Amino acid sequence: MKYAKVYFEDVQVGDEMPALVKGPIRQIQLTRYAGASGDFNPIHQDPEFAQASGMGGVFAHGMLSMGFVAQSVTDWLGAGTVRELGVRFTALVRLKDVVTCRGRVVGTSEKNGERLVELEVWAENQRGEKVVTGRATAAIPSRLD
Amino acid sequence: MAIQVNRGVIGKEYPAYVITVERGKIKEFARAIGDLNQHYLDDAVGRASPWGDIIAPPTFPITFRDERADAETLLRDLGVDVSRVLHGEQEFEVHRPIRPGETLTCRTRIVDIYEKAGRSGPMAFVLRETSIVDRAGDLVGTMRHTTVVRL
Repeated sequence: MKYAKVYFEDVQVGDEMPALVKGPIRQIQLTRYAGASGDFNPIHQDPEFAQASGMGGVFAHGMLSMGFVAQSVTDWLGAGTVRELGVRFTALVRLKDVVTCRGRVVGTSEKNGERLVELEVWAENQRGEKVVTGRATAAIPSRLD
Repeated sequence: MAIQVNRGVIGKEYPAYVITVERGKIKEFARAIGDLNQHYLDDAVGRASPWGDIIAPPTFPITFRDERADAETLLRDLGVDVSRVLHGEQEFEVHRPIRPGETLTCRTRIVDIYEKAGRSGPMAFVLRETSIVDRAGDLVGTMRHTTVVRL
């Protein structure tokens, strides 16, 4: 369930994060993200420019996909829990693509009084190709708090 | 024609810049992603939260930029055209959530530039790191940004 509170004691290595499905990607979202982020690279807006660059047309900001991945973690574990998030952009996200964010718990630990959940995270398109791969660490509450 | 990236800028530190976190920009950013978490959007939820206000999503610091600097500075320093660059990797370390009204100081430096063979030919990887410090001098977060240049 979205935004349910998840406690450290309930998380086990191997658990899967609930999938988050975003898209289909539309040009208006890329324009909106450009305005919100300040990244006005025409490669995300201008089909002629994107073709001339040899990139085969407009594609989404990598940071938009990373924002989706961050959302997938916070939808599950809560806003304000993310301590680290690192990703590689492994394939381009195109207009009309559907991006599904997934993850899996790969470790749990305690550090500086915080209970940490370490996740392998990724996002894939509608053909199952990974467009983002990475790791996330989140600090979540304990039932003992 | 092969493109060269100017490796002479490894270690270069850019002038520190100060940003003020705007409430409306946090909400605009969350909505642009389609992340409707009420901790980012609803002031009343924020006030009742442990942070006392809305907070920014984890990737929000990507919006921090030096408004006085020329946006083309990095490309000029590297000696490459915008059409050659891609965002390769990105990392955020979050030491605490960012709230509206905060004044933060950002410092960026070029940590490394290295070349590798990519699937579609030779590529240069440019790693930049930005530290984000609050008024008390405490580190709020760190961003690491890897730009890929198609050579």
